[in-house]
Amino acid sequence: MYRILEKKELSMRNIWYKIEAPHVAKKVQPGQFVIVRAFPNGERIPLTPVMWDREEGWIVLITFIRGKTTMRMANELKPGDSILNIAGPLGNPAEMEKFGKILAIGAYTGIVEVYPIAKAWQELGNDVTTLHVTFEPMVVLKDELEKAVGRHVLETVPIDPNLDFPTNMKNVTKRLVEKVREMLEKENYDLVFMVGPAGDQKAVFEVVKEFGIPMKADLHPIMVDGTGMCGACRVTVGGEVKFACIDGPEFDAYQVDWDVLIARTGYYTDMEMRAFQEYMKLFEQAVQGGEQ
Amino acid sequence: MAVKRKLIKERVPTPERPAEERIRDFKEVNLGYTFELAVKEAERCLQCPANYAPCIKGCPVHIDIPGFIGKLVQYRDDPDKAVKEALQVIWACNSLPATTGRVCPQEDQCEMNCVMGKVGDKVNIGKLERFVADYAREKGIDEELLFEMVPKIEKKGQKVAIIGAGPAGLTAAGELAKLGYDVTIYEALHEPGGVLMYGIPEFRLPKSIVKSEIDKLRKLGVKILTDHIVGKTVTIEELLEEYDAVFIGSGAGTPRLINAPGINLNGIYTANEFLTRVNLMKAYLFPEYDTPVKVGKRVIVIGAGNTAMDAARSARRFGAEVIIAYRRGEEDVSAREEEVEHAKEEGIKFEYFINPVEFIGDENGNVKAVKFEKMKPLEERDSRGKRKIVGTGEYVTIEADTVIIAIGKHPNRLIINTPGLKVERGRIVVDENLMTSIPGVFAGGDAIRGEATVILAMGDGRRAAKAIHEYLTKKRNENA
Repeated sequence: MYRILEKKELSMRNIWYKIEAPHVAKKVQPGQFVIVRAFPNGERIPLTPVMWDREEGWIVLITFIRGKTTMRMANELKPGDSILNIAGPLGNPAEMEKFGKILAIGAYTGIVEVYPIAKAWQELGNDVTTLHVTFEPMVVLKDELEKAVGRHVLETVPIDPNLDFPTNMKNVTKRLVEKVREMLEKENYDLVFMVGPAGDQKAVFEVVKEFGIPMKADLHPIMVDGTGMCGACRVTVGGEVKFACIDGPEFDAYQVDWDVLIARTGYYTDMEMRAFQEYMKLFEQAVQGGEQ
Repeated sequence: MAVKRKLIKERVPTPERPAEERIRDFKEVNLGYTFELAVKEAERCLQCPANYAPCIKGCPVHIDIPGFIGKLVQYRDDPDKAVKEALQVIWACNSLPATTGRVCPQEDQCEMNCVMGKVGDKVNIGKLERFVADYAREKGIDEELLFEMVPKIEKKGQKVAIIGAGPAGLTAAGELAKLGYDVTIYEALHEPGGVLMYGIPEFRLPKSIVKSEIDKLRKLGVKILTDHIVGKTVTIEELLEEYDAVFIGSGAGTPRLINAPGINLNGIYTANEFLTRVNLMKAYLFPEYDTPVKVGKRVIVIGAGNTAMDAARSARRFGAEVIIAYRRGEEDVSAREEEVEHAKEEGIKFEYFINPVEFIGDENGNVKAVKFEKMKPLEERDSRGKRKIVGTGEYVTIEADTVIIAIGKHPNRLIINTPGLKVERGRIVVDENLMTSIPGVFAGGDAIRGEATVILAMGDGRRAAKAIHEYLTKKRNENA
């Protein structure tokens, strides 16, 4: 049981949890993640420690509300409550080297995973530029990134209320691709790194490839245990099967089979939707019942 | 004076739920003995003397089998006393009898050498062991025994860390706690139990029973740290600074995959993933439980071991048509006979001598068929005594929307990458005392054997506990 010390809404659908988890705080390195189970009938989801204090024994997780589990956490967990399970740290740390001039990209809440890595790269003597592309009301960690790296570029896209969410998301992808192209044309980078939806990672990779710049990507396949015992998170890298939880999550973007990753990531979409809708129905009933 | 007794040749059957009823849920298939039936079966035992009894030799943890069976007959007029005495005999060697009574392949172990087999059916040792444990749990007799035992344990003042809360680790922990050591188990998942929780399905081994057996270990003083991944959260080196000895029981949890095109298509699960979703995460209760699993109309399970049977029978309970595809023949199937019988009763089909060469997908990246090469057996046998097989160059394609790969597992890489730990072919190397290349670090179960059985892992756990006890006794005496 891991106590929630702080919880706050950073921006639209982005929730900050500061949690007591000394076993993770003591060991975690930039690039590593944890698996969280918040409720007795709950699922295990991968999340990334964004900040930590080894002495005080806490980590910060920032979740984007995108389905039942993250919504339920946002609705039902209060400071002082406990999270049932936080396993970790898991995965391999990001490579800590002097690469030179780095462009580190975060799409949507992906920027929270970029933060610890970009910060460490900068501290190591790299010249890091971070790029955050997201919807206007969903900006996070702006001040923190401005402090941590050489330059933080924020690109926001308005949410058009007349369009559905997938169409709005296409606008983010478009802006992302345009902005990356513009930045790569203007300046020479030694490395591009990106965290975000697999489709956006692929779109950005297509641009980076034209410039021939090395690119790394943190992959987000579906995970269950996170310790290499099931292969749910398997990806094809350089023609070989790899398990993202123990071989990654960071891989050479040039070696990744993006189409396999995109297909696998979407396999449970219908069930995810059902779980979410049924939860929201119950939640609304509970809220209305409480008001009467 | 010798007592004349009548041999009862036929085994007293245990009631089972009919196939058509049980394939609709995940509740236990076999209902076990009542006290009356258990006594009737116990009476069939010839009570061979303990120093001779072949059944004891066949049990990897050497339970005094005639001893516990005899108690049931001796105190037949006092069921509670009978069970308490019997449980005490079992507990001397085995802390998880409700589990082993259910999942051991008794036909290859204790029951294999049962003398009764020469004149009739062998004594149903597994089901009797299970009866004792179940009755004791239901009546709280096990709690009573623990309450009497715990205060008598003399503390040794030395600490042992156990890596992995599966059958090997739990057994070692139980034995060491009984000997008075301060034991802490490090477990990566959120529930202890290892394969007993994530692998073996509810309908063979109810999870509430595993949990209750593990709770008894806690009452013996064993501490369990879940969410701790040794190799990541803490290293073996660090454990050695804090503990006097370490036991590695991390199992063989990494699934083997088939090196064939299309292996990463959607709808292709490893048995580990499928069973973890179903058993540990209770995906069969979705959306009441949050973890999803997808079982299509037709499921192909590749492999024919116990894991394949568990996966096939689980898939069947989602209403799917299930085919087990095996590259060898019926006589080579390695799963327990009882499980194969259960699978057949439940309507699972078996296809022999076919070997997958390609997984065929649709435009969305979902699997829709598996292409197999037809195989044929040779006279020549391999090192395990199985007939060798070769491809015929003929192919057959079978449609399926879910494929479950159950062709075996390797030990987990996170553990075996420990510096200084000698490993061969992915398995931890140990000496005759189960000590690894690192002094004070012992190992057992699937981590040293590759994929084996629950009871072999428990046997290792018990042997390792003895070896650790000797090692630590020497250490104590040196420091004294």
